[in-house]
Amino acid sequence: MTDNIKHTIETPKQKQNRHKAMEAVKVLNMIKEEFKEPPKAMNYFYDLFERVYCKQEPLHADKVKVGTMCIQIPSEIIYALDGVPLRLCNGFYTDDEIGSDLMPSKSCPLVKATVGHLASGNFSDKPDIIFSPTTCDQKTKAGAIVENFGYEVMDVDFPRTKESEESREYWRRSVRKFSHDLSHSLGKKLTKKNLQASIQKIGYAQTLYHKLNDLRKNRFVPILGKDMLMVTNAFFFDRIDNWITAVEELLEEIEQRAKNQLHAGGKISPRIVYTGSPPIFPNYKIPLIIEQSDAIIVADETCSSNRMFNDRVSVDEWFLNDMVDSIADKYLKGCTCPIFTKNNDRIRRIIDLVKSYHADGVIYQAFAGCQVYEMEQRSVLAAMEKEGIAILYIESDYSPSQQGQLTTRVEAFIESLKNRRRMKR
Amino acid sequence: MMKNKIRRMINNMPLNKVRFWIQLSMFVLFAYGGYVLIDFGSSIPIFACPYNSETGATCYFMPLQHQLAMPANVLFGAAAISVLVGLLTFVAWFVVLNKAWCGYACPFGTLQDWITALRKKLGIRYGTYSQAQFEKLSKIKYIFLAIVIVIPLLMGVGVLGREWSGAFCQICPARVISPMFSGDFSQWKIDFSTVTSMILTTIGVLFAAVFFVGSFIKKRFFCFFCPMSALHYTMSDLSLLKLRKDGDKCTKCGDCYKVCDMQIKDIADDVISTNILRDDCMFCMKCVAACPEDDALHVDILNMRVFSSSKEGFAKRMGMDRLEKNDDR
Ligand code: SF4
Ligand code: SF4
Ligand code: SF4
Repeated sequence: MTDNIKHTIETPKQKQNRHKAMEAVKVLNMIKEEFKEPPKAMNYFYDLFERVYCKQEPLHADKVKVGTMCIQIPSEIIYALDGVPLRLCNGFYTDDEIGSDLMPSKSCPLVKATVGHLASGNFSDKPDIIFSPTTCDQKTKAGAIVENFGYEVMDVDFPRTKESEESREYWRRSVRKFSHDLSHSLGKKLTKKNLQASIQKIGYAQTLYHKLNDLRKNRFVPILGKDMLMVTNAFFFDRIDNWITAVEELLEEIEQRAKNQLHAGGKISPRIVYTGSPPIFPNYKIPLIIEQSDAIIVADETCSSNRMFNDRVSVDEWFLNDMVDSIADKYLKGCTCPIFTKNNDRIRRIIDLVKSYHADGVIYQAFAGCQVYEMEQRSVLAAMEKEGIAILYIESDYSPSQQGQLTTRVEAFIESLKNRRRMKR
Repeated sequence: MMKNKIRRMINNMPLNKVRFWIQLSMFVLFAYGGYVLIDFGSSIPIFACPYNSETGATCYFMPLQHQLAMPANVLFGAAAISVLVGLLTFVAWFVVLNKAWCGYACPFGTLQDWITALRKKLGIRYGTYSQAQFEKLSKIKYIFLAIVIVIPLLMGVGVLGREWSGAFCQICPARVISPMFSGDFSQWKIDFSTVTSMILTTIGVLFAAVFFVGSFIKKRFFCFFCPMSALHYTMSDLSLLKLRKDGDKCTKCGDCYKVCDMQIKDIADDVISTNILRDDCMFCMKCVAACPEDDALHVDILNMRVFSSSKEGFAKRMGMDRLEKNDDR
């Protein structure tokens, strides 16, 4: 690729694309080649990431694209209104560097990368409108920065306590307003029919995810965590129907693998639950180190993966307002995001994952600069200790430089888990 | 293997349909049993009201009020045995089904669900109480229960006169409404014989009218106020049928709360209690059916699980287990 552009002067956008493609290729190659036998159906996802991130191929040229700054913007409503939700959370170091000039130096790399990407305006699928829920401080303020680049940004009020009845009401009102605003700007009406269809479609996508996930509880784990991360990450931007078909195929293959008791890991590979700041392509640094060090990620508690699929919308009477309220509740009540005041739910969730996926330990990553995950670290560590669950806490960012030191720490942790396993035998 | 298959089948059942048919059969049994001489006795823990001449059983409150109104020496003397037998029979009935009597067998409860179905057909959305209203209103049933018990006792000791006889029945909307099941509309009238009766029966008629309006708007409107529900709760620990929760598996997503006709918040928010049956609960099991986490909520007979929440069952019931192919988008 570099050959064709050698003789012309490279524009900043081209340079950005080239750098991002380099980052993407590096990770894709690792994912494809450094592990034994990835499932064949994963090729769809490998290709998808290559098309989007190396070749800048647009996927949604024909649709209105609705950018979302966080997980809490209900995609059910966006799809019902015939828009395409694009989760803008970004994992590129290239964009992180662009964003560094626009945000305080100690900010979260994910927010910096998101802001950097939006600042460059260099998208294969550029968002037509952006909704920014008021989650963490950095995301909240980023919305305003992004607006200055000329995007249409709408804030969506999100409460930071979730226990109280007041916050439930508050959030329900926010979501009603959101659907109203979006319906207005897309010029389409939310109806009982289109919303129900969209809830059930996303519900079906979740069902597929859960079925895949359930197989990871097996003693022989048929799919690695890095592949699962790609599947869930693709949901950020893929065409939903294609995603569903691809996952159906993957599920079939993985079910077959499970029947054949195919194990993606080694004989005594420790089973890991991954939690903390979200690994978003191509920042799969920590997950890849884990799985390259002979451990398997069997489950995760992150907003880029499990949290996006776990909780479901239940509706009693399929009326429009009831559906909207149900959707609102799902995005608030079950959410284990660390921005909430108290977060025992997250702790309970991690413990439950450890138990039901028979994990040997937990690896908790926080992005340096992601204050809420950093702050919650102590309480989670204390809770794990109380439960007798081994946990490793690591801080990382998007820079390629710390690789060596991270690898050493992860390897040491995994080695200790292996020793435990050996002793148990 | 076989056991697992059956269990899975039960966990995947379309609860609403199953419940509809059980309720319908129970309604026929209790509202029209009299036509075929069915009589389950007079200690039944539901509003199977004998003012309906064709009832298949008699609501326990009728004999209870009558018995409690006896003079103390009779109550604790000659009548003691029959009072005790009545009570024990009531408990025995109750123990079998727990509050599922309300969710599955009470004709008065079923009637409310049918009114709800009608509202749904008309495309009108239901109403809810705010949390503060809920907390206040949900206490009223204990006041009614006190009326069921205290007024007859006061009659027994001579403080109140005969016109207070069956005081609760006089204000009970089931007295006015149940006879309608067999075509008898005669209870829609005010009894002018004494001032007390006049007031009580006026309340009864008004209550019956409010019942229709209320349950059209609010699901299970009357059950919030039902003294039978309050009495149930006092002995619900004795029952063989249990509504249990495994808090570790609960994500507090609130899906159960969302479908609960009684707006019981604890069902989602309480992750400590294992016994999650609350006083307003009618044991309809809709919460179990709507919970997307495997085994977070379950119905047990003693310690045997008979119906558990499951991912698979959830997806089936919500129509999320496959894509609707007729989707034209
Ligand atoms: S009037 Fe009400 S309390 Fe009295 S017997 Fe009938 S249903 Fe029971
Ligand atoms: S539906 Fe299940 S997981 Fe959700 S709050 Fe209720 S019990 Fe908990
Ligand atoms: S708590 Fe469950 S069983 Fe009880 S009334 Fe509510 S939905 Fe029905």
